[in-house]
Amino acid sequence: MKVKIKSWMGVATWRWIANDENCGICRMSFENCCPECSLPGDDCPLVWGACSHCFHMHCIVKWLNSQPNSQQCPMCRQNWKFNIQ
Amino acid sequence: MSLKPKQVNFDNVWQELKETVKQVLTMANVPTSVWQDRFSDVYSLCVAFPEPLADKLYFETKQFLENHVQNMLATQVAPPDRNSSERKNILMNYYKAWSEYSKGIEYLNNLYSYLNQQHIKKQKISDADIMYGNASPDNQELMEIGELGLDIWRIYMIQSLGDELVAHTLEGIKEDRMNGIDSKYVEVIHGVIQSFVQVQGYKKKGNLKLYQDLFETPMLNESGKHYRNEAAKLLQRCSVSEYMEEVIKILSDENRRAQRFLDSSSVTKLRKECEERFINDHLDFLYSECKEMVSQEKRKDLRNMYIILKPIPDRLKDLLKQTFLDHIKNEGIETISTLKGENIHIQFVENMLKVHQKYQKLIADVFENDSLFLSALDKACASVVNKRINERQPCRSAELVAKYCDSLLRKSKTTESEIDTKLTNSITIFKYIEDKDVFQKFYSRMLAKRLIHEQSQSMEAEEAMINRLKQACGYEFTNKLHRMFTDISLSADLNNKFNSHLKDENIEIGINLSIKVLQAGAWPLGPTQAAIPFAVPQEFEKSIRMFENFYHTSFSGRKLAWLHHLCHGELKMSYLKKSYIVTMQTYQMAMLLLFESCDSLTCKEIQETLQLNDETFQKHMQSLIESKLLTSSTENFERDTEIRLNFDYSNKRTKFKISAALQRETPQEVEHTMNAVDEDRKLYLQAAIVRIMKSRKILRHNALIQEILSQSKVSFTPSISMIKKCIESLIDKQYIERTPNSGDEYSYVA
Repeated sequence: MKVKIKSWMGVATWRWIANDENCGICRMSFENCCPECSLPGDDCPLVWGACSHCFHMHCIVKWLNSQPNSQQCPMCRQNWKFNIQ
Repeated sequence: MSLKPKQVNFDNVWQELKETVKQVLTMANVPTSVWQDRFSDVYSLCVAFPEPLADKLYFETKQFLENHVQNMLATQVAPPDRNSSERKNILMNYYKAWSEYSKGIEYLNNLYSYLNQQHIKKQKISDADIMYGNASPDNQELMEIGELGLDIWRIYMIQSLGDELVAHTLEGIKEDRMNGIDSKYVEVIHGVIQSFVQVQGYKKKGNLKLYQDLFETPMLNESGKHYRNEAAKLLQRCSVSEYMEEVIKILSDENRRAQRFLDSSSVTKLRKECEERFINDHLDFLYSECKEMVSQEKRKDLRNMYIILKPIPDRLKDLLKQTFLDHIKNEGIETISTLKGENIHIQFVENMLKVHQKYQKLIADVFENDSLFLSALDKACASVVNKRINERQPCRSAELVAKYCDSLLRKSKTTESEIDTKLTNSITIFKYIEDKDVFQKFYSRMLAKRLIHEQSQSMEAEEAMINRLKQACGYEFTNKLHRMFTDISLSADLNNKFNSHLKDENIEIGINLSIKVLQAGAWPLGPTQAAIPFAVPQEFEKSIRMFENFYHTSFSGRKLAWLHHLCHGELKMSYLKKSYIVTMQTYQMAMLLLFESCDSLTCKEIQETLQLNDETFQKHMQSLIESKLLTSSTENFERDTEIRLNFDYSNKRTKFKISAALQRETPQEVEHTMNAVDEDRKLYLQAAIVRIMKSRKILRHNALIQEILSQSKVSFTPSISMIKKCIESLIDKQYIERTPNSGDEYSYVA
């Protein structure tokens, strides 16, 4: 071996993998946080439903709390279940 | 003795009582038993049967007092046939008579206390009546004996002698100003003056009126005349600086004099008169050398000037302040406009600090930290710091201060405590910067570089600095900076977890990996450079995959993007005579790794294998050639230029680093930062406009501008044209509209 890698210091950024650009509830982009928060990131995470729709966690929780009778996804009206990947 | 009312013979009792009254008034010896008998005599007269004799007693006593005072005047104080030398003694005589009489009348008041309490107080008008002006100006009202006595003194003694007395007291004060007089005489004069106050001391309203009319006004006139003369004399022979010193001396002398001679109510009035005549009347003269004093920083003169001007609320102080302000400004501009060379940022901050500290000290020493001058200092510094040296270019101060902080926070040999003080001081300059958002942009870029390349001197210093900024500008200003810190410490945890994961799974990857995972929004990394295409060499692609998999299991729903231009690594070279460990960037690593199976390659081959764009390829190949690890067949890199491994390479060090051109701040980068700031400002302004309009619904143009300015003040001062553009674009986007009736009014479109 002529050259060998001893160590590597890598830098990466992370983004959410979402099937849409924007949150369907607050219409903010997933790169940004929900309107209640001031900074995107761990404090304002995204969640996925079993129906594969994705929202800011704060947004969907607020939505579900405002729907006393049926817990439906606001996009497709299927029953909402958190998808734990 | 019985308290029962009984019949009394007034004349008999009064005869005896009169004797005692006389003794009391002349301060003769009155035995206790006699005093008590007379005390009860007063009582028995007041409650006499069948008719109370109180009124008669009062009348007789008044008569007696009148006679007594007139007698004193004629015999003791101012005999009608006195000669001129006796006239001189009038003050002395009056003072003696007054001392005796005033004390006597006080005792007499006690002797008559039953009459006072029961007979006179009852018909006296109450305080409330006086306060609300219900009292009729009825002079026939009865007074307490003590008051009566004082009033009689006023009528018979002061009314006839007043002017003469005043003339003599003024004479005395004048004498004291010229040559000084001995303390006994001072006491006499003071006593005489005080008698004018005391003789009306019982009055609830206007008790100083007699004193003021009779004595104070002429005294102030006389003093004013004297001051005017003195000032004129001083002006003829003194320079401004000497004049000020003399005046300060005179002021304090006069103050002491006032306290010795006058009633305390007059002290400030006399001082005011003195200031008027010596200072206010000659402001122009004082100001004539003000500029010079400031520009030559004559501390003693400035100090005197301040002492003199302090009590006067006047334009001159403003002039002094303005001159001072201009002086600081000139010095400041001079010190920052001549900066040259590499370390402009250090010179800028440190020169500015020197100016600031110098004048801060001067203000403390000379101007007693007067807030007027401190604010002048602030204004001057702010206008220097925010001055555009070159009209066409934006002000560079924010950038320079940020750079200054950067140079301190980077690894260096400076001691921790020195860095700490320097950073604390830099906040002083930072506070004057208007474009704090520009500072923030530069600072966060430099912080990002320090954190990613691990160039920080210490994390404590970094954090302390951010806390200082937070204190100065609030949480909003620094929360992105905090976010970056969190990412760095989260990444450290992540690496530990990854390593123990590898251990658990018994995986050996052969590379010491250390990964920083950053949150895309919080770091000012610039979107352009993230998307450079690059084929990761297989030698460490596996390790990267491994890490990515590990990451995805820890954090679901996230996608990693590698910023290869920010990555670097260590390569061990074992094809040379000695083996070397070289630190270099990922692209350079990748290039060197290609030579594993051959000794020479063309540029085209390298670039295509790695899928690099021209710019990146050129830049990194250049630095490898410069380091002499590789050799090139031509000067410029053409497609078929041959690149060879340099087998003759040798270096004294076995561990070194290939410097990359990347870390230097290029002019484009500065421009880029400024553009980014502009973009942010527009967004900020638009958001502010929408917020304001949403709450106000309808607002006039000027009012809107004012609100925007006050909201944005914390981080920057927007130009009016930028605000107008933002309003226009919001009208286009139909957030707001112009109201139909008025040209300069907007309304919110819900």
